[in-house]
Parts: sequence; structure tokens; C-alpha cells
Amino acid sequence: MKRGFWILAAIIVLLLPWVGNNYFIRLATIMMLYCVLALSWNFIGGLTGYPSFATAAFFGLGAYAGAISQGQGVPMYLAWVIGAALAAIFATGLGLAILRLRGHYFAIASLVVADVLREIVNSTTNLTGGGMGLNLPVLKLGVDAQAKLFYYCMFGIALLTIFTAAYVMRRPLGFGLGCIKQNEDAANIIGINATIFKTIAFSLSAVFVGGAGAFYASWVNYIEPGDVFDILFAIKPIVMVLLGGAGTVSGPIIGAIVFLILEELVWRNFLTFHAGVLGLIVVFLIFYLPDGILDLNYRRWFGWRKN
Amino acid sequence: MNDWIRKDFFRFASFVFILAGILAFSGPVQGAEKVLKIGAPLPLTGPLSPEGQKQVQGYDLWAETANKAGGVKVGSERYKVEIVYNDYQSNTPRAVQLAEKLITEDKVNFLFSPFGSGATKAASGVSEKYGMPTIAATASSEEVYNQGYKFLFGTFTPNPTLTEPLSDIVKAKVPQVKKVAILARNDLFPLAIAQCADVSAKKRGFNVVFFEKYAIGTMDHASALTQIRAAQPEWIFATGYINDLILIRKQMGDLKITAPVVTMIAGPAYKEFTDAAGPLAENVSSASWWHPAVRYKGIDVFGSTENYNKIFQEKYKFIPDYAQASASSVGAIFQIAIEKAGSLDRKKVRDTLAELNVTTFWGDVKFGPTGQIISLKPPVFQIQKGTQVVIYPTEIAQAQFQIGVK
Amino acid sequence: MLAAVLSRRRSLSEHISMLYLQVLLNGLVLGGLYACIAAGFSLVWGVLNVINILHGTFIVIGSYAAYFAYVYFDIHPLVSIPIAAVILFFIGYALQSGVINKVVAAPVLTTLTLTFGLDLFLNNLLIVAFKADYRKVTLENPLGVLSLSGITVPIDRLAAMALALLLTGLLFWVLDASRVGRAIVAVRMDREAAALMGVKVKKIYALTFAIGAVMAGAAGSLMSLIYPISPLNSGIFLGKAFIICVLGGLGSVPGVMVGGLALGVVESFGALAFGPEHAVTLSFIILILFLLFRPTGIMGKRGFQ
Repeated sequence: MKRGFWILAAIIVLLLPWVGNNYFIRLATIMMLYCVLALSWNFIGGLTGYPSFATAAFFGLGAYAGAISQGQGVPMYLAWVIGAALAAIFATGLGLAILRLRGHYFAIASLVVADVLREIVNSTTNLTGGGMGLNLPVLKLGVDAQAKLFYYCMFGIALLTIFTAAYVMRRPLGFGLGCIKQNEDAANIIGINATIFKTIAFSLSAVFVGGAGAFYASWVNYIEPGDVFDILFAIKPIVMVLLGGAGTVSGPIIGAIVFLILEELVWRNFLTFHAGVLGLIVVFLIFYLPDGILDLNYRRWFGWRKN
Repeated sequence: MNDWIRKDFFRFASFVFILAGILAFSGPVQGAEKVLKIGAPLPLTGPLSPEGQKQVQGYDLWAETANKAGGVKVGSERYKVEIVYNDYQSNTPRAVQLAEKLITEDKVNFLFSPFGSGATKAASGVSEKYGMPTIAATASSEEVYNQGYKFLFGTFTPNPTLTEPLSDIVKAKVPQVKKVAILARNDLFPLAIAQCADVSAKKRGFNVVFFEKYAIGTMDHASALTQIRAAQPEWIFATGYINDLILIRKQMGDLKITAPVVTMIAGPAYKEFTDAAGPLAENVSSASWWHPAVRYKGIDVFGSTENYNKIFQEKYKFIPDYAQASASSVGAIFQIAIEKAGSLDRKKVRDTLAELNVTTFWGDVKFGPTGQIISLKPPVFQIQKGTQVVIYPTEIAQAQFQIGVK
Repeated sequence: MLAAVLSRRRSLSEHISMLYLQVLLNGLVLGGLYACIAAGFSLVWGVLNVINILHGTFIVIGSYAAYFAYVYFDIHPLVSIPIAAVILFFIGYALQSGVINKVVAAPVLTTLTLTFGLDLFLNNLLIVAFKADYRKVTLENPLGVLSLSGITVPIDRLAAMALALLLTGLLFWVLDASRVGRAIVAVRMDREAAALMGVKVKKIYALTFAIGAVMAGAAGSLMSLIYPISPLNSGIFLGKAFIICVLGGLGSVPGVMVGGLALGVVESFGALAFGPEHAVTLSFIILILFLLFRPTGIMGKRGFQ
């Protein structure tokens, strides 16, 4: 039953580009991008319980790594791999430094990394174009073909992320991370090397995000520091996972999709107040859906209502 | 068992919700009366919203004026102008997304570029892909137009056209200038124009003793200005947006920095600068692509610069500056091209634009091979006694250049 | 005139030391303001263990209060601080008892995301109400500049710095000497014990948050004299507050002063050494270094001891 559900969903996704126009395909591509971001954050945030805000840093790093590579003549797909690899290596190093911190301090450190990277990119104008941004070569393909190509590429990256997530959760790694989330000291005592596990989770949270960043650069053909290191790239995945429920594979995916639909609806209908409405949604989420849509506990909800 | 059923139910419910959402967005958009739709992706919220609002004022004025005169003539028919505004929240990727949406979903006939060189450059890729004629009202950097695109046009001349006449004036009228200090905001346009200033200054034998960039969002310039004070330049050149320049000018006053010539781009063009800086604004010089004092008689729907100023003041109760004028000019130029081509066909209109050589209230309009306008003579002006006066071109000069900024 | 002639005859080393002195002074004056920005933030973080993302927006509200007081009622920003304080007190108290109190014991992720969502909402409200244009308080009678053998200090900044330090000192005194203050410290040290001693913890939380908001409002009033006002500045203020708290040590008022002054001086000299565009990066890198190697900050103490 469950497997059938997933296969049906996959077929629908494969056929989607033939149903709508290019803007719709663009939206669908963004949806899968969100899935990748949400699932990636889940590794470190949902499974391991470390509130990482570093997603923006990894995304931007991957974007610039990919863009600069392509500028040097590297073929597009290889550039994406470079973006992913660089993000993973950076995360490993960064993780070794800041994963020792707990709670607030870790959150702040991960938050600030994106700002630091952005300013470094801003200052190295010769390499990155600095505040003037970086252009990427446009593919010599028709518009419709391009839209579909990028859609399927993003789908591929998303599939990779999904399979990795599913794989990790069924293996000792996933179990170990869950132990760390519950009680890190106890986990250490029973023989789990928390440092190694955490670092792996952190790198996993970076590798697909970095690849997605490089993909993004190729897709939009122009990137600026302020855009790809935008803090919203760190906040949105967290909200998505909160929406859909942490700790599972389907949770972040559903959260990502629902979030995108909400975002698009809000954007179209509230011309000047969409940020505010988004904020309200976040507040609402924290209070009424602390475990996400999938784990909605009717009784508790009605219990609140009665009070 | 109960949990499982509940989980399955919610999975299913989510699935249905998602499917509904997808279908809601994939439907084609209705439309099509005798309406000329022009897409305007703008930053209506976020840090660039003040600039976005100016563009709205300019576009709206054109649409209103054109419609009042009966609409745009396409062959033997008349089309009503409708501008489709969308907000990209000062976020460049969203601007690109919006450009595509306006083209594919809202099915606009033509496109106005988003605000600023960065977003214009980013969105121009989309326009090129779809063969959609796009005119940029606020993009001057040559880097925007250097991709070999055929469908992008712009109403701002390249940055050197601002810094070269200015440097000529300084060289001719202020012989004591030997050292120049440049402080630039680390952003596409402010940095690009600062680099042009650097080139123009060095070309005339000036010594650039200081050239530094400040980060976007800098709240305190005391350090940079202290260094400038120590270098004692005769010409201080600062770039940024209006709030940066107000702050810089004020801190210059705090540190008692004086110089024969102080130039700032792009704040002094706006009345807000003179209001906020007060007596500190005296003798600050600047340059821009248009000034309400210019006088052109054009074949566009406004007819002349004076008429444009008049209509603008009637509607908005204040004098336009170059931002709104540029936006209006883009609409007016589209109108001229469409009426000349006699059709809404994108390729035809694009070719007409490329060959255009007319005069409008904005100035002479002729686009170069890259799509950027090459026929303008950007005015140099200075703030004297609280108002902006034009110094160059000499045909419309209102006053002489004054030396000494305290 | 004489001064100009004399200054040209000075030696090179004198010029350089004058430069350093001016840069140092700039940094200290800036630092005083920074301390005031961070004081409220540090209090809330230290006592409630909540990172208040709204702090930046509170400062902006304070600036607007001062701006409108000046434009419509001719009240000088230095004098209108109590107005901003009162407004922010109510906003802070209401927010805390109504919303934030419900998640005070929750993990970092929850509180951070919640205050972030609230901030999105409040900030957007400000933009819709006041537009994102930059307003500026232009004084009819500016206070002028103090000038001493080539070193200059703008008087309004100096006054703002003095007031900032005064307010921060006042906060310290209140925490130390008043009953409410002792209660707040007690709650910080041990919540259960304080409750057992009869302290109404939820009320103290609300009060603390409100005091934090008041400090933010006061800082905002002072800021209106110096910086252009816009809801878009909130993020910048927040970033500074972060760095200062970590630099100076969390939850300690002297720490905030030290942190603020330190950041001001570091930024000032950093801009001199590396160029202004790197000053911000430099401060963030210092933040990270402190987080890694000395999270308790320069003062090395936690809590109000």
C-alpha cells in the first residue's frame, strides 16, 4: 500500500511538465528545491536535534562554487557536483568547529556563517563579481525544452536526497542520531561516537543543498551575494519541517509542498503584507502544530478548543 | 492501529490538498479584450520599495495620459493600456520568476524591466529566451547590456556619460583640485559608477588618494571619513543610495571635513536629500540622466518636458525627478514604437525600437547596438541655496558651478 | 584659520597619531550607543533564555516614536525617550504575557522560530504603516561639533552616548537595588527556588521582557538623532546586539558595556586596517571566534553576579 502510494506519486511528478505552462513548471521545480532543502535540514535539525541555520550558507556556497566553475568552462553537471562537494567539505570543517556548541550558541554560529560568507564573496570582486553579481552562460536550448530539462534535473537531485534520507533512517546512523537528539551524553556513554555522527549529519545537511545551490545558479543565470545567502533559505526549510513533521521522510516533503502552496497563495493575494502573513503562519504553526500535520492529535486540539 | 489509520488519512488528505493546489495553479489565464498589457515587476516591498514606488508613479502617469488621449494606436484600432504590477519584494530571484510569470501566465504584450541594474540583468535572460521586448527604466551599467541580447533596451546612458562631463567641469573651473577621494557602496550601480569616476579622474591627471567600498547596510562611516580627512583631498566623490549619502554628508559635517568639490551620486537628485541634509547640502554636485529643467519637444504622448512636469505635478503635487521621468519615458517609447510598427508583433516592435531615432520629453532617443540609449546628454547639477540648478549642458544651464563645500 | 596653518606644519607621526586618536574616539562614541542597543537584548536572553528577534524592530519603533514626537510636537529626541519607553513597555508586556510566555520553556528552535515569525509580522506592519522610506530627524538647532586640535566629536552623538551609558547604568542599578530587580535575578538563578519563595515567575518574565523592550525603545530614540529611520534597519541592529552579547558575556550589564565599547573600537580600527567593507565581516568573525573559544565573553561571567 505504502509503496504503491510512492510509485503513483513518482509517476505524477514525472508527467507534471506536460500538464502546465512554463511558469507552472518553474513552480514545480521550486517545490522540489524546497523538498531538497527541507530533507537536508532534517538530517541535522530533525534527526539530530541541532537547530542549524546554516542552510543558507551551504546554498550560497554551492551556488558560487558552481557559478565560478561554469565561468571557467566546466560543464554544467560537473559544476553541480563541485558545488555539492565543496559544501560538504566546508560543512565537515565547520561542523568540527561549531558542533561542540549547544543550543543557542550553535544556532547563532550557524546563522552568522552565512553572513560571513556573503561578505567574503562581496569583497572578492575579482573572483565572484562582488556586489555586481555573477552571470552564467545561457543554454542554447528552446525555452520549453530548458524548463523541462531543469525540472527533471531537480527531480533527480530530489530523488537522491530522498533515497539518502530513507537509507540513513533505516541504518545505525539514523538510530544513533536519534539517540543523540534524546540525550547526547547518554549516547556517548553507550558507545555512539557523537562527534562523528553529528559531523556526518551536518555534512549530509550540506551536500544536497550545495548541489541545489549550484543548480539554482545555472537555472537563473545570474546570482548576487544577497540573494543566494539570504537568511530566508535557512528559515524556510525549518518551517517546512515543522509543518510536515520532523524525523520522517514524508514529513519534510509534505511540509515543503504545503509551504510552497501557502507561499504562492499568500504572495498572489496579499500584495503588501505577504511577509506579515507568513509570520502569522509561523506563529500559528508553533502553537497549534508543534509536531507537524502528519502527527496531528485530534484530541489534544479539541482539548485546547474546549479550554 | 488507530494511529496508522489516522496517519493514512492525513497522508491522503494532504495528497488531495496538494493535487488541488497544483490544479489551481496550472489552469490557463482568461483574458483578451482590446487591452495592451505591459508587465511591471517591481520591488513594492523590501529595501528597494521607495524606488519601486517612484517607478509606479511614472508608469501610472503614462498609462493614464495615454488612455486619456484615446489609447495606443495599433494599426486602425485603439488599445487601452493596462499595466500589470507584481511585487518581487526586492529579491532578485523573485524578479526573474515574476518576469517569467508575467510572460507565460499573465500573457503580457511587453515588459518593463525590474528596478536597478542587477535585477534587470537577471531578468533580461528570461526576456531573451521568450523574445519579449523589454525596456529598462533604471539600468545604466554597461555590464547589464553586454550579453549580446537583442530584446533588451534601456533609457539610461552608460555611467561614464555622468562622470566625464563632471570631471571636465571640475578640471576647467576648479584648478586647485589635485587629489580625489572616492567612497563607494559595494553594490552594482554605485560601485560601477565609482569605478567610472576613478577612470575619469585619472584620465585628467588627478591623483586618486583614496578608493574604498563600504558594505550595504553600513551604519557608520566615521572610520572611512576620518581616513579621507587625513588625506585632505580637494574632490570627494561618494556613491550610494539616498540614505547612505545623507548619512555620509552628515558625518562629513561631524568630522568637519571640507573640500572645494563634493559630488554624490545618486542622492542629491531627490528633494529628500536637500530636506534631510539642510545647510550641509549647499554646493554638493551630482549628475543624472534627466532633470526637470531640461527642455525638449517630443513626438511622445506628453509632447514636451514642460508639459510632462505640469501633468505630473497636477497628479502627484510635487516635481518629478529622473526616476519617475524615466519610467514614464519607457511607456512613451513603447507607445511610439508600437504605433510606428502598426502592430503588437514582438519581433516587429523590437526591430522598430532598434531603429528608433526620435525626440521625446525625456530627450533624444536612439538606442545603440547593445540596446542601451546613446543619444542622451545627462545634466550635471548642483544644489545652490537649497534647490538643484543645472550646470551642464550649457544650452540649458541655469547657473555657474560654485566651489567650496563646508 | 590659524589652526589650519598650524596643522599643516605638524610632523607625519603627529598626523598619524591624530588619526588613531580620532578613530579611537569614533569607536568609543559608537560603542556607547552599541551598549544601549544590546542591553535589553542581553537581559531577555539571560533571564528568559529567549533570543528576541523582535529586538531590532523594537528599536525601530522607538525611533519612529521619537521622530513623530519631534515632527508633530517639537519634542527633542533626547527628551522624548520616556514616550518611546512607555509605548514599548506596553508592547513588550503584552507580547510576552500573551504569546511568548507560552513557550518559555521550549527548545531553542521553537522560541527562535516564534520570535522570528512575530518579527516578520510586526516589521511588515511597520512597513505598511510608515512606508520603507528613510526618515530623518533634522534638528532645527543642531548641537554642533566639539573640536580639539584636529580631533572632532559631534555633540549630539556624544550626548546620545552619555545617555546610553546612563540608561545602561540605570538598568544595572535597578537590577541590583530594587525588589523587582532582585526578583528578576532570582528567577534567573533558579526558577523553581524563586517560585517557592513567592516570586510570581510569569509576571517577572513579562516584566523582564517589557524592560528589555523599554531599553530597545530608548536606544531607538537616541538612534533617531544619528541614523536614518526605517523598518529595514531592524536586522542590522539585531546583528550588532548578537555580537555584543557574546563579546561581553551574556546576562551581565557591565558585560554589555564592555562588549559594546569593544565592538565599536574594533569596527573603527578594523575599517581603518582592512577597509570599510570588511568592518562588518570582521565583527562577525570575531563573534564566531568568541563562540568557539570563549563563549562566556570578555567578562567571563554568566548571569547577574
